[in-house]
Amino acid sequence: MEEPRIGVYVCWCGTNIAKMVDVEQVAREMGNLPNVVISKNYKYMCSDPGQDMIIKDIKENNLNRIVVAACSPRIHELTFRKALAHAGLNPYLFEMANIREQNSWVHTDKALATDKAKALISAAITRVNFHEPLEKRTVEINPATLVIGGGIAGLSAALEIADAGNKVYLFEKSDHLGGIVADLDLTFPNLYPAQQFIEPMIARVQNHERIQVLLNTIPENISGYVGNFTMKLGMNGQSAEIQFGNIIVATGLKPFDPAQIPEYGYKRFPDVITSLEFEKMLKSGNIKTHSGRTPEHVAILHCVGSRNNNYHPFCSRTCCMTALKFANQVRSAIPGANIYEIYADMRAIGKGAEEFYAQSSRKDIMFLMYDQRNDLPIIRRALKSEKCNLLIDFHELLSGEDIEVRADLVVLMTSMEAQENAKEIARTVGISMCGNSFYIEKHPKLDPVATTTEGVYIVGSCQSPKDIPDSVSQAKAAAARVLASIAVGNVEVEVITANVNEDLCCGCQTCISVCPYTAIHYESDNKVSCVNEILCKGCGTCGSTCPTGAIKPRHFTDQQILSQIEGMMKAVKTRLVEIESQEV
Amino acid sequence: MDFQPTILSFLCNWCSYTGADLAGTSRMKYAPNIKIIRVMCSGRIDPTFVLKAFKEGTDGILICGCHPGDCHYVEGNYKCLRRFHLLQKYIKQMGIHPDRLKLAWVSASEGKQFAELADEMTETVSKLGAAKINECMEVTLY
Repeated sequence: MEEPRIGVYVCWCGTNIAKMVDVEQVAREMGNLPNVVISKNYKYMCSDPGQDMIIKDIKENNLNRIVVAACSPRIHELTFRKALAHAGLNPYLFEMANIREQNSWVHTDKALATDKAKALISAAITRVNFHEPLEKRTVEINPATLVIGGGIAGLSAALEIADAGNKVYLFEKSDHLGGIVADLDLTFPNLYPAQQFIEPMIARVQNHERIQVLLNTIPENISGYVGNFTMKLGMNGQSAEIQFGNIIVATGLKPFDPAQIPEYGYKRFPDVITSLEFEKMLKSGNIKTHSGRTPEHVAILHCVGSRNNNYHPFCSRTCCMTALKFANQVRSAIPGANIYEIYADMRAIGKGAEEFYAQSSRKDIMFLMYDQRNDLPIIRRALKSEKCNLLIDFHELLSGEDIEVRADLVVLMTSMEAQENAKEIARTVGISMCGNSFYIEKHPKLDPVATTTEGVYIVGSCQSPKDIPDSVSQAKAAAARVLASIAVGNVEVEVITANVNEDLCCGCQTCISVCPYTAIHYESDNKVSCVNEILCKGCGTCGSTCPTGAIKPRHFTDQQILSQIEGMMKAVKTRLVEIESQEV
Repeated sequence: MDFQPTILSFLCNWCSYTGADLAGTSRMKYAPNIKIIRVMCSGRIDPTFVLKAFKEGTDGILICGCHPGDCHYVEGNYKCLRRFHLLQKYIKQMGIHPDRLKLAWVSASEGKQFAELADEMTETVSKLGAAKINECMEVTLY
């Protein structure tokens, strides 16, 4: 192995790191470690001048290893690997020390945070000595795409990809396409009928020569990786196999069950209905109470199950505007009705929404505010003499008074929540969920439709509640990503896989028993284990099981991790000696 | 100066390392004694890493992986769990208190839980004081 010549770069990240870590001192001290040729600090290492500095130093000083101490490798590892490649160095001869997310942002004592930064960087430097160049593998992209979910997001994505000339498999778990939008009457803020745009879309998808719709079907048994996924299907008693290169998850959401909130009497009182039930009523053109009367008083209750820690802490995003839409529709259908919007905060987000709120507030609608965190309204049956079906008691915040609102019909603006099978789908396609079961995007701002699993995208409300335009935008964004990958034709895949040193392998086959991907097989001729690097995903479990150290998980080898531990502890011990000598 | 323990923390890339990053992006605060080493999966954590870390002088080790059933690599965390139980028995023979080695599940959304774990572990190990390996064991270590 050539003599390591290491370049170390400590990033300030503006003040994000520099205000809690003495970056200059750190860079100076790291310069004294073995094999470190250059050690610098700079304001923004990820910026073009920062990257250019690395590239220039590699060329001028024959550096063959680079350490950048900056943010999390989850954010910029790829950026710097590319910079190395630019300079003609293998991108894996690089290690990142996370001194922002896991240091400067979480600590309050500058001296201690500086010491910790030194330990983390020292660990990275010691480790990078043992890095080996790895060759990128490219795999071809199968142009077929799997879209999971036949709501508006799934339909939009499927059409976009199929119109560009590619095969799409569209899976829908129910017996019809259209999702929640197909159940809506008018849409906010311009009161445009949902049927007018969803039905032509459904028809186009159903008649599209390149889209294969599979109703009543949930995907399972997906294997493979970006570009080359395979799914086994049990169709009509026969087993079949389909292949595709990318997956778009558009599984949407489902309404919260308001029967969980005892105060509202849903299911106990037939005239307390959910927003989706009311949509159905509006679609039929007949706003009636359970007994068939035209309601004189209609109350619309907001935030049912949303923004309340007992149910869901998040805002469901679309209900406020839907509630205003309901008020407008009731006003047109029953001009003399008393309409009450019982709300917590009016959230008019998006184009035209605030204007819609302003227009609606001039339509003789009573807006009443309640405390949805601590003091939920109570719905009770009215006496005959009250001349209404129900009464709603609550403390009205704007007037500061306890009031009683008459209602013949109460519409609960139910929260939206993740699908019941969200977890199974996540497992099938290999993505993660956050605490409330919505899927996690790769980057909340810069990569909102991708996931940490290459070739798997999330669009629409499976990521968080969304309105129609947002869902469609995401679907088309993901479709564009998929089409781009199809246009390029191949993709570079991770090379962090395991390989076997046949001279050391004793043929015990322990690795085979622990591999979750059946990526290792036994070659009886040579009596050794052998890794199929296409199937291996690089977890490294085999490496920690192998009794002879024959199997090596690339980029996370025993030597690399052990040296990282050594480097870390060496810095800690050096510091302890310093402290002791100062105290003496 | 009070005793400041050193705690190495092995985190899996997909859940726990992401969770620790989240603690950072959410600007939660925890003890600086925790120093993190990333592995792809908690199943990668070779018993040697743990023994090596104690030999090099760490006072505690915190291993975190994905919650059972949520492992990015299907079941690496279960493999880690099995080794953990054996390792706890083994380090006792080395003269190391089993509380110095902890295994916990931290998901990508549990930044707060990670910060709390880091503080708890620091407190536990601070009380135990500096770790010391039985002399007779030292020679056998990697």
